[in-house]
Formats: sequence, structure tokens, C-alpha cells
Amino acid sequence: MRKFFAFLVSVALLMALALPGVAAPQYLMMATTTSTDNTGLLNVLAPAFEKAAGIELRWTAVGTGKALELGKNCDVDILLVHAPNKEKKFVEDGYGVNRREVMYNDFVIIGPPSDPANIKGLDVISALKKIRSHEALFVSRGDNSGTHTKELKLWKEAGINGLDKEKWYIQTGQGMLNTINIATERDGYTLTDRGTFIKYEANHKGTPPLVILVEGDKLLLNQYSVIAVNPKRCPKVKYDLALKFIDWITSQEGQKVIGDFRLMGKQLFVPNAAEQ
Amino acid sequence: MNYILEGFIGAINLLLTKDPETYSAIWTTLRISTLSITFTLLLGIPLGFLLGHYSFPGKRVLRTIVDTLLALPTVVVGLLVYAFISRRGPFGELGLLFTIPGVAIGQFILALPIVVSLTASAIEGMDPKVYLTIKTLGASNKQAAIASLWEGRYAVLAAAITAYSRVISEVGISMMIGGNIKWHTRTITTAIALETGKGEFSMGIALGAVLLAFAFFANTLVSFLRRRA
Amino acid sequence: MKDIFRLENVIHQYSGRTVLDIQNFEVKEGEALALLGPNGSGKSTLLRILAFLEKPTKGRVYYDGKMVNEPSFAHRREVTLLLQNSPLLKRSVEENLCYGLKVRGKTSNMQEKVRTALEMVGLNPQKFAKRKWFELSGGEAQRVALASRLILKPRVLLLDEPTSSVDSESAKVMKEAILKAKSQWGSTLVIVSHDLAWIYQVTERALSLFNGKLINHVPENVLSGNWEPRNGSLFALKLSDGQIIMGAGNPMESSTALLDPKDVIICAEKPEEDSALNALEGTIVSMNLARDTGQVLVKTLVGDKTISSLVTEKSMKNLHLHPGLKVFLHFKASALKWLQ
Repeated sequence: MRKFFAFLVSVALLMALALPGVAAPQYLMMATTTSTDNTGLLNVLAPAFEKAAGIELRWTAVGTGKALELGKNCDVDILLVHAPNKEKKFVEDGYGVNRREVMYNDFVIIGPPSDPANIKGLDVISALKKIRSHEALFVSRGDNSGTHTKELKLWKEAGINGLDKEKWYIQTGQGMLNTINIATERDGYTLTDRGTFIKYEANHKGTPPLVILVEGDKLLLNQYSVIAVNPKRCPKVKYDLALKFIDWITSQEGQKVIGDFRLMGKQLFVPNAAEQ
Repeated sequence: MNYILEGFIGAINLLLTKDPETYSAIWTTLRISTLSITFTLLLGIPLGFLLGHYSFPGKRVLRTIVDTLLALPTVVVGLLVYAFISRRGPFGELGLLFTIPGVAIGQFILALPIVVSLTASAIEGMDPKVYLTIKTLGASNKQAAIASLWEGRYAVLAAAITAYSRVISEVGISMMIGGNIKWHTRTITTAIALETGKGEFSMGIALGAVLLAFAFFANTLVSFLRRRA
Repeated sequence: MKDIFRLENVIHQYSGRTVLDIQNFEVKEGEALALLGPNGSGKSTLLRILAFLEKPTKGRVYYDGKMVNEPSFAHRREVTLLLQNSPLLKRSVEENLCYGLKVRGKTSNMQEKVRTALEMVGLNPQKFAKRKWFELSGGEAQRVALASRLILKPRVLLLDEPTSSVDSESAKVMKEAILKAKSQWGSTLVIVSHDLAWIYQVTERALSLFNGKLINHVPENVLSGNWEPRNGSLFALKLSDGQIIMGAGNPMESSTALLDPKDVIICAEKPEEDSALNALEGTIVSMNLARDTGQVLVKTLVGDKTISSLVTEKSMKNLHLHPGLKVFLHFKASALKWLQ
């Protein structure tokens, strides 16, 4: 019996530790995308912001679609995403306010060095058309993420439809790195953000199985923005803290942190917050 | 092969140097699981005992329902709980999303049928002579019920550990309710699921090893208890 | 002696099947009563009703003069039942013994009581008190089960086959302990057992159950004395008047044989000489009618022994049997059963 009570006591202690003890400093809840999180930028932004403003930044990384939904449901205070059309609609529909562009990086199309569809060096639209005509294997994220949204927009621009049913078009429903890995396995093409590619490249010690074949096209720019969740719709949301973050990230200081960020020694983001 | 080997070496390094992110995930897992299992046991063991010990109309139906709930997929539980505790949901005011207690609630729902069903089985599986014997020694119904439950303690403990293993290794609820927030709700399982997607292979292995070690330990304990039962 | 139990018109049924049908049954306080009968005759059910574990489907149960409407733990505090192959609680021997005391709140002097109870069943307290339930042999476990009831000094001790499937040393010790319960504390004993020798030794009265009904038990004839071996695996017992009873078999060291009254035939004339057949002359001393079977129990004095036999009423009339009549008893030498 005694052992049983000792056990109960230790459980009670463990439980006590589960509860928030000391009053936590103020924190801001952000929803962002997996690719943003994957770059590691937030691991640098968060401490810098906390130092500057004394507010802890907490974020959950989900697909763009889910991030927007979390905003609609008032479950987060601020969004950092990269799907401009969806973002604009989000604000129009009254879910978000104070949308500010903060930085951009770009997308690239990668594929096997053998380049069966011969797309190297082309502009993105021509490249996609060639992939289609060759029925070359293309791996899509298929998860409503910013990247996926971008990809779909590009196919549409190229005038290509009905991909869902094509045998050469694969949808993984997963994050960027996993999708690239699948493309690697299958020797296929895929659209990725440069940040994830840099990581992938580093994982393979500089000689990745898939290489960049198409880059630099204006259509491949990936614009990131922050949006505060509308306090009128979500009274409990920490609007003041969200504003502080927006102010900071668009300020000279925040923009410098973005510009100084290096992934594997390479610059990833170009800060472009316009002066308000 | 090199890739895997490097991963293992990196994992050992992370564990030995007490890498904060790795240990934070382990600690968070322990906090959430212990919180959820404690309440599960507090409610589940008495309910399981009642279900196993007494006969009442509809007992078989109830038992079937409980047994069916054993197969609840974690993502379904995660989705349901999210719907309730999201700010938009009926319990949104409580601010449970992305918190440890929020995940614990989901895990509670997952583990409760396990504890109830296994406890009921443990009670039903007991030698009926034992209950009679207890009564012949002059126990009142209440005293006899308590003594009966104590007699089944090994099997009940095995049930508790089984439930604990289940919640420690689940991903769906932790991901959907917890959000894998670094330092706060990043658990062993969400870290393995999501961080390896970012290339954190070593951490994945390190955490996986911890989880396996736990599973091995739990299993050994359960076998031992089942033999004593 | 007053009745501690009285059952009136008790009928007990399981899913429509009647397992007990007892019109009148009493147990006197302080007596030792044996319940005999084949398996399935309802003995265990009757014990469970007496132990207040079950309420009979119909009929009235009186305990200590008062009618019991609902059996409750209050009654079970005075009446305890030792089940056949009684399981122990999953705890140490000491804790098993203390359980009954704890539920009654009688927690003073427990150590002392544990020691006494263990010694009573022949288990050394130093060695056994701390042992766990799985560290005991079958016999030791059953002894502990008995001890956990003896420690309560129960008013009534019900025993269902207490010594079957137990080693002989344990059986011996347990029997002595049970006897002590009666002699030292005046506990009422109701024992179900197949161990007839012990039954006759310890109980004053025996009842048989057959298909749920009580019938008065007809005691076997107990023939004890010096059995001398004769030729051809036969043994002879000399009676005081020079007659010899022959028994066949293998009596080993014991010198007690049982003879079922049903195997004894009475006739008026002396039968033919036959070494395998006993033919004894004696005088009828008493005759009793067993109401439920319609048979008459005839007790005949042969030498120094009284031998019972059963006859039908009709035979009794045909043979004109009456006390004082000289008759001849025959029974086969092989009809004798030897007690170990």
C-alpha cells in the first residue's frame, strides 16, 4: 500500500509541473506555413523580437490553407504567409487587417540532371508546357499550401488544366522537403521554394540528386506578408501585440534581421516592406 | 547507409549533450501524457469497475460501445476536440488550443475507452470465488467492492500502462491540438513527424529511440503484471 | 440448546430449476452438523444460504431466533464460510488473516491474533506471516484460508470440503483446528465432507441431501477392533460371544471397517455356511421407521456390537420382526469398507 501512495504523490508532483507555474511573459500566437518554418528564419526572428519588444513569439507551422483557417477561427493572433491572392481575399472578407508585405524569396523548378523534358534555362511557362507535352513526372505538394497555390497558378497561366487525373502528375499532400524526397525517389520534377532547396542541397552535401533547372522568372517570386487577425471579429485576439510585431518586422531593425539571415551561408529572403 | 549511421551518431550526441530542443520534446511529452493519464485513470478505473462488476440492463450494449471507441483514430479525436476548443467553438473562451491541457483533453478521450474496457475485462476475468471469499470474511458491499478492485490491481495497472503507451505514442491529437509549437507543445511524436520533414534526422532518431525505450520498458512491465494478475 | 439456524419451507431455484427443497431444518448453537450427499445435491447451495451469501427464492430463514429478510454483511460478521479450494487474497499471509479483522474494525492486537491463528493451523508465524500468496503450497494456502476465519472466532463456521485436495499433514492439522474452534469457543460447525471417518469423529449429527431434499442420514456401522488376518486375504474380528465377523480386503494398519446397513440382510433362519458370507446371530434391540424412505432401521445386538440394517416395512411385517427377537444377519465379507 505504501508503494502505491508514493506513486500517487510522484504523479501529483508531475502533474503540478504540467500546469503553467510562473506567470508567462506576454506571448503572441502566430500561424505560419511549414516552408517558412523550415527555413529557420523564425528561430532567428523570434528571439530578436523578444529582445526588442519583450514579447514571446509562438508559432504553429501548418499549410497555408490551415493557417488562414486558424485566423478565421480566431485561434491565432497573426499570420505570416505567402499566398497573396488568398491573403487579399482574407482581408476583403474581413478576417484580417493591416496586411503588410515583409519579404520575398523565390521558387525554383528542380528535376533530375538528365532533364528528360528539356526545360533547363526556360521561363517557367514554357517549362511547364514542355513537362506536360513530355508527360514527364511532376510531383506536387497538393496540400493547399502557399507553394501549392503558386504552382496551381502557374499551371493556369500556362493554360494547362485537368492535372488531377493525369498519371504523370503526383500529389503528395505533404510538406516541401518530403515532397522533394519523393520527387528524388521517382526522378521527377517539382516546384520548391529556394529555402527548402538549399536545405535539401545541404543534406546531400552539395551534390543533390535533383538540381535547379528553372529560376529567376518574375512569376516565380514568393511574396511573404503579415496579417493581423481582425479584432472586430475576434475580440479575444491580442491585437496590440500583433501590431507591435508588424511594426517591428517592417521597421529597419526587423528588415535587417531578415536581410542578414543566411541559410547554409546563402541569403534566402529579400526584405521589401514598403514605407507606410 | 552513411546517412543512417550519421543520424544515429547525431542522435547519441543530442541525447548525451542534453540538447535543449530534444529534451524539451521529451519533457513536454511526459507532462502531457501524465496529465491526461491521471484523469483518465481517475475516471476510467471506477467506470471500468462498475461496468465489469455489476449486471444491469444494456450492459452488453454499453460494453460494445466502449470497445468500439477503442478504435478511435487519433486524427478524428484531434479534429473533434479542435472543433470544440477552437475560439470559434463552444469552449473557445477557455483558450485551450495550442496548450498542454488542450492536448491532454484529446488524449483523455483517446485513453478513456482503453482504461474502461481493460479494467472491465480485468474485473470480469477475476475468479468469482474471490468476491465470495471476501464477503465470507464479513465485508460490507462497499468494502467488498474496494477489496475486489485491489485484487485486480495488477491487471488494472497493466491497463493503465497500456493506455499510457497509447497516449505517449500518438501523433494526431498532439499535432492538431498542440500545433507542434517549439518549447511549448512540441512532443516526441510531433517532433519526429514534423521536424524530420525539415531535415532534423538526428533528432528524429534520438526521440524515436527514447520512445522505443519507453515502449520496451512499458511492455516488459505489462507482461510482468499480467503474470502476477 | 437453542437453534442458531432455522429454515422453514425453503425453496431455492436457479433459472427455474429447483435446487433446494427443505421443509424443516435446524442447527443448534454449538453443535457440529455434517451435510452429506452426492455432488449436485445442493449442499453448497445450502451452505451459501446459511452463510448469508444468497437469499432463498422462497421460504424463511431464521438466525438466532430472528427472521432474516435480507442477508447482509452484519450477519456475515458472525457466520463465516470456508469454500472448497478457497482462494486467498493477493497479499501476504499476515494481511490475509487481518482482512476479516480490519473490516470489522477490530484492529487491536492483530499481531498477536495472527500468531495464534497461524500456530493453530500448524504454520510457523516466523516463517509464514510475511509470505506472499503465491509462495504457498496448496495445503499451506488452504490452512491460511482456514486461519483467516479462525482468527475471527466466528460464532458459526461453515466448511465446504475443507480437506479435500489437500495433503494429509495439512488435513490433519486443519481437522484439529476445526475441532478446537468448537471446543474452545463453542463455534457451531456445519461441515460438508466426504471424509466419513472424520465426519463421524467430529460431528454429532449428519444429514443427507439428495436432489435438494433433506433425508436423515443412516449412519454406517462402524466395526473396530483387532482384525486378525486369515487365509485368502480375509480378516477376522472376534466378538464377545465367540462369533467372528469376516472382512475381505486390505485393511493396512487400521482396524476399523464400515458396513452399510443396506448391505445387511435379516432372516429368521441360519443360512448355509460360507466363508465369504457372514452369518451372525443376534437379538433385535430397537426398530425405527425412517419416515421419508419408508424403511425401518433395525438395530441388532451381536456379541458386543450393535449392527444396523434396513428393511422395508413389508419385510418387517413378513418376518414378524420385533425388538427382542433372535434373528440372523448376513452380509458379504466383501461388503466391508476399510477406513484409513
